[in-house]
Amino acid sequence: MNEERKVIKYDALVIGGGIAGGEAALNLANTGYKVLLVEKDRSLGGKMILLSKVFPTLDCSACITTPKVSEIARHQNITIFTESEVSDIVKKSENNFTAQITKKPRYVRVEDCTACQLCEKACPVSVRDEYQFGLIGRKAAFIPFSIANPKAAAIDIENCTLCGACEKVCPTHCIDFTMETEYYELHTKTVILATGFNLFDPLEIPRYGYGQYKNVITSMQMEREIAPTRPFNTILRPGDGKVPDKIAYVLCTGSRDATVGNPICSQICCMYSIKQAQLLMGALPMADVTIYYINIRSFGKGFEEFYQQAKGMGVNFVKGKIGKINEKEDGNLILTYEDINEGVVKEAEHDMVVLSVGAKSNPTNGKMFGQEKLKLDPFNFIAQDDLQGNPSKTNINGVFVAGTASAPMDIPDSILSAGSASSEAISYLIQHQEA
Amino acid sequence: MASKINPKFSEELKKYGSVNFNACYNCGTCTAVCSLSTTDNSFPREMVRLSALGLESEIKKSLKPWECYYCGECTSNCPQTANPGELMMSLRRWLTAQYDWTGLSGLLYKSLIATILALSIVAVGVWYFAHSVGYETKTMLHTGHLFEMIAIGTVFLLIFVPNLLRMWYFTVVKNNAKAPIKHYFTALADLFVHMFTQKRSKDCDEKDNFRWMEHFVLVIAYLSLLFTTVFLNWFATESIFIILLGYVESFLVFLITVHFVSGRIQKSKSLNKFSQPSDWLFVIWLLLMGLTAFLVRLFIDLDILETNKWIYIIHLTVLAQWALIIVPFGKWSHFLYRSFAMYFAKINKSL
Repeated sequence: MNEERKVIKYDALVIGGGIAGGEAALNLANTGYKVLLVEKDRSLGGKMILLSKVFPTLDCSACITTPKVSEIARHQNITIFTESEVSDIVKKSENNFTAQITKKPRYVRVEDCTACQLCEKACPVSVRDEYQFGLIGRKAAFIPFSIANPKAAAIDIENCTLCGACEKVCPTHCIDFTMETEYYELHTKTVILATGFNLFDPLEIPRYGYGQYKNVITSMQMEREIAPTRPFNTILRPGDGKVPDKIAYVLCTGSRDATVGNPICSQICCMYSIKQAQLLMGALPMADVTIYYINIRSFGKGFEEFYQQAKGMGVNFVKGKIGKINEKEDGNLILTYEDINEGVVKEAEHDMVVLSVGAKSNPTNGKMFGQEKLKLDPFNFIAQDDLQGNPSKTNINGVFVAGTASAPMDIPDSILSAGSASSEAISYLIQHQEA
Repeated sequence: MASKINPKFSEELKKYGSVNFNACYNCGTCTAVCSLSTTDNSFPREMVRLSALGLESEIKKSLKPWECYYCGECTSNCPQTANPGELMMSLRRWLTAQYDWTGLSGLLYKSLIATILALSIVAVGVWYFAHSVGYETKTMLHTGHLFEMIAIGTVFLLIFVPNLLRMWYFTVVKNNAKAPIKHYFTALADLFVHMFTQKRSKDCDEKDNFRWMEHFVLVIAYLSLLFTTVFLNWFATESIFIILLGYVESFLVFLITVHFVSGRIQKSKSLNKFSQPSDWLFVIWLLLMGLTAFLVRLFIDLDILETNKWIYIIHLTVLAQWALIIVPFGKWSHFLYRSFAMYFAKINKSL
């Protein structure tokens, strides 16, 4: 490719616009450094902006994320590239990195869009909404989600039929199908990796029937059902729209499981499942919620109390991992497990099953580097060379890691880690200032 | 009731072929995915737990290892790769050694050298016998036939009857099951059904009955070959029907064991991944039995046995090793223990 690359210069490159990347970018920007924040998705906020509430405080997740995201977006020292990807990061010398950035076209001029949603109404194409994790549909011309930032329409060009209906109704004429991919060559002094994690795909465990049984959903789908910006405005099971009254949680779906290549604990599933169970007890007071677990790991501040609180509220905790799930004709599900306390195999019927999916590393970890390679741990998370002394440092001096790119962790830990990474980056910038 | 813990039990079981079972973190996936496990009778996690704790006497009392037919589901779904299927297999070997009053089973399971030595001694004995009768075909055939009958009777009376009584003592009497005599008769049907059909293993894999079918045909072919050679005197008979019958039986034994051996070589199923010397010995000797018996009769029919006596000596060697080592002290006994386990379980359950 010989496209002309625009040369741009920033003090710091932050990859990933989730809560960790955003926090790190803010810290650097507030200290006076010019930051380029690169996000591959259409909105900032990462996974946190899509969550319902956070454990163990039960604060509204969106209410914490959105002000932070707005601050990032409005900050004069932060430039944001959404729908962009970084490749070929090369360290020339201390304080001197280059990277190639590919910015995909949104086909909407963000600065002119008023998010009036007329294009959404006009668009004839319906596809599954990835921001609602497939629970509902969306159009090919759409606002990603109601609290997205930038809040502007985007064209999903893969599914677009190029009918031009959106263009015709757009009152500000901000839809532009002539936009092209832009290429940049970035010169920067430091890099922070906040590339986050991926959720485990339960299709890898066929005996749980995800994708086959309609009333088996993932915890992220349940998260959307109980979020303030939820798609149904109540809790429904997807199979027939019935309000469930016997809900099961299957912990350790795709974590602590060597058969799917992820033998480590994801650290968040116990607590988010307990959180969801509490929220469900509130949303559906008559519902039974049962959590099937191997061990409840409530190790953080306030976690054990949160667990005991859930028990007090009437959430059932059953020790035993679900072995297999079968569907009945009415859409209810039969879960087979060994009740570890009694040592016998049991079957339980539930009308909805939530798979508490684990956290896996981002497969792009390490692939953004040219020449000197970034070291990864055995599970493809970014290796922390000096874990005890300097957990933000990677094997490349001047490249730091923030949040779940280094290991599964919860939100407070991600923000702490981002704080550490940004202060390490600032210290690096000052140490290696040109004389 | 006080239980005795043997802290070295893991090490002991390793010698019987167990793999990594101490990695178990008690999630119960194995028990939940097992198609034979029921609410009244849940395994294999319980056995993994007992083994990890070294509760030998509890394991000795249990019939559960025999109720597993090793479909391998537990092993392929175990999140800790603790291999519960192979543990159940090694417990069956260990139990075989416990039931055996002579202690030779344990020795042969644990020591490959002892096994080779035992096989060699028998081989030398056979060749010495052949030499001592001047390699005379008729005498050899006659004595061979006689040996077969005596061996069967002796092994049964001296080894299997006491061993089965011991098994009964460990698993029924020690479980405080004072079953009325009547139950011993009513449960007999179960004994024979399981002995000759391996009915339970059919439930082992809901989708695929081929393995059960294959094993079933092998058992029937082997037992009838035994009957044909011993009681119908296959090598001496003139009856065309019996001759053909023997051919079919020995051919089937050969064919299926070839498939079993190749399965163990390819390791395609979890059942086949960790073959112990005793497993190899069992299938290979069975294969050789089928093959050599077939050839001996073929040589007789082609009238070339007189000039090719070696084939009968080989057959007799294989037969003697089989009858004196593998049957009483090796894997063969699972044929009896499995079906008696179902019998005893039925008696225990009837209380």
